[in-house]
Amino acid sequence: MRASAIPTKTVRRRPLKGRWRRYVAGYVLIAPALLAAGLFLFVPIVLSGYWSLTEYSGLGEPEWVGLTNYIELFGNDLFLKALLNTFLFVLIGMGIGPVLGFLSALLLNSTVRFRGFFRAAYFVPVMTSLVVVATIWKILLQQQGVINQALSFFGLPGHAWLSDPSTALPAVVATSIWQGFGFETVVFLAALQGIPRELYDAARVDGASYWQQVRHITLPAMRPTIMFVYIIGIIGSFQVYDQVFVMTEGGPINSTRTLVFDLVDRFQQLELGEASAVAYVLLAILAFLSYVQIFVFERERG
Amino acid sequence: MTATGGRRVRRTLLYAALIGTSLLMIGPFYWALSTSFKPSADIFASPPKWIPDPWTLENYRDVFTLLPFPRYFLNSVIVTSAIVGLNIVFDTAAAYAFAKLRFPGRDVLFFLLLITLMVPFQVNLIPLYRIMVRLHDISPLLGVGTYSAMIMPSMIQVFGIFLMRQFMRSIPDEILESARVDGASEFKILWKVVIPLAAPGIATLAIFTFLGAWNDFLWPLLVTNSDETRTLPVGLALLARRNTVNWGQTMAGTTFLAGPMILMFLILQRRFIEGLTAGSLKG
Repeated sequence: MRASAIPTKTVRRRPLKGRWRRYVAGYVLIAPALLAAGLFLFVPIVLSGYWSLTEYSGLGEPEWVGLTNYIELFGNDLFLKALLNTFLFVLIGMGIGPVLGFLSALLLNSTVRFRGFFRAAYFVPVMTSLVVVATIWKILLQQQGVINQALSFFGLPGHAWLSDPSTALPAVVATSIWQGFGFETVVFLAALQGIPRELYDAARVDGASYWQQVRHITLPAMRPTIMFVYIIGIIGSFQVYDQVFVMTEGGPINSTRTLVFDLVDRFQQLELGEASAVAYVLLAILAFLSYVQIFVFERERG
Repeated sequence: MTATGGRRVRRTLLYAALIGTSLLMIGPFYWALSTSFKPSADIFASPPKWIPDPWTLENYRDVFTLLPFPRYFLNSVIVTSAIVGLNIVFDTAAAYAFAKLRFPGRDVLFFLLLITLMVPFQVNLIPLYRIMVRLHDISPLLGVGTYSAMIMPSMIQVFGIFLMRQFMRSIPDEILESARVDGASEFKILWKVVIPLAAPGIATLAIFTFLGAWNDFLWPLLVTNSDETRTLPVGLALLARRNTVNWGQTMAGTTFLAGPMILMFLILQRRFIEGLTAGSLKG
């Protein structure tokens, strides 16, 4: 099998030397990548798993405690709050964000002038640092900020969005949706433009309405892209941290404490064992989602 | 008549929606820019002042004396260029080997790398931090508090290798074979034949690595402990988190951070969009 890809010409000229030369070249070329992956990916993954089963402060030696950290975490109010907040963040954000992006891609996909301009405008927040985005929304959402002023212009009451425990998380979610909107729009738009026009022409001849076309042509054709956007979005959302750090610092009353925030907090309290357990809970959630994703994909392929 | 009338209404609504959304996307940035030039009394003025009047540069002057933003900028440039440079070299080299060379264990090793794509960075965070502490004990030039702590964990990206490998696979084997027949070494083939052909892929790799490194926050926040090595996002976040936030200064810092990036984006728009949506293209 290996030889089949090498034209016989080469094999005849340098039967063994060529092959060995290529083996060596292969190993030399991947060596830096493997070394870095080993030291900065594989070793940390294993260490993190081991430490999650120990009591460890970073000083001295880790002390084996079995599953104690996990058991304690699932009885710990702060962790449970962080878990719940993270799920809410993912659910609300992913419930709303991609739908908005899809609708805006549909709008942009109709015959529109200046499409490039709109696309660029939507994309600006995507390539901006989350710290910048969060800082800007923090000023917009202040008690005397522009958003409250706009609300009062329409006769609606203002609100201390970020200091009220019931609105702080939705405010952080809204900021994140705003940041991801351009990405979703651009990815959906690219996929929309790949759908053959003839499909729509045929449907129109058959008298299908616009929404019937969306439902029976666009959505099925976009399935892989929709999956992609949700997978990327869900994985990213589970790791939410920067916005929280800047906008609310996990507060008020832990109402925006997320899993990664919880992890970093425990890490800084030198509870390395528990922090590692939080990391592995996060890993377990994402591994489960990846498994579901692969499972769904495989089943769809038949 | 009614048909074209209805059409006109629909077009108007369409453009109203598109323009409205654009304002929603650009407006906040404009507000940051505008606020950065306002004296503090005007920042939360009611009704809001869209154009600073009077305008002032004191927010910039103050924030630059308060925090060494040029230093943060330099740090960001150093760390980001190192990461981009290393990734271009190592990701491309590995991708070429995984895509075009045959050697025992190739597919197993590649599969092992791919699995790590599922592992979020935060899982590695604590051990990585300990590794950087150890490195610092060994040599004060390495590890926590130095550039190396930020650069080393990002010196390769599995996703970058994956992406470049996809790209390399589109290069026909015949071209490589004829170079081999001519007696070129594998490294020469990579340098003279593959890299020129893979240039667009390398550009994409460079841009998404650049954006990732430039905007990275949590890790640089943890492994820097002084202004000597802090990067721009870390500096800005510390400013935005002060107990009594000075909004004029904070928005000056924000503008300093976002401004150059937005300008660069406007110039290299298409490349940026390709770079950031790279994963979806292969669908």
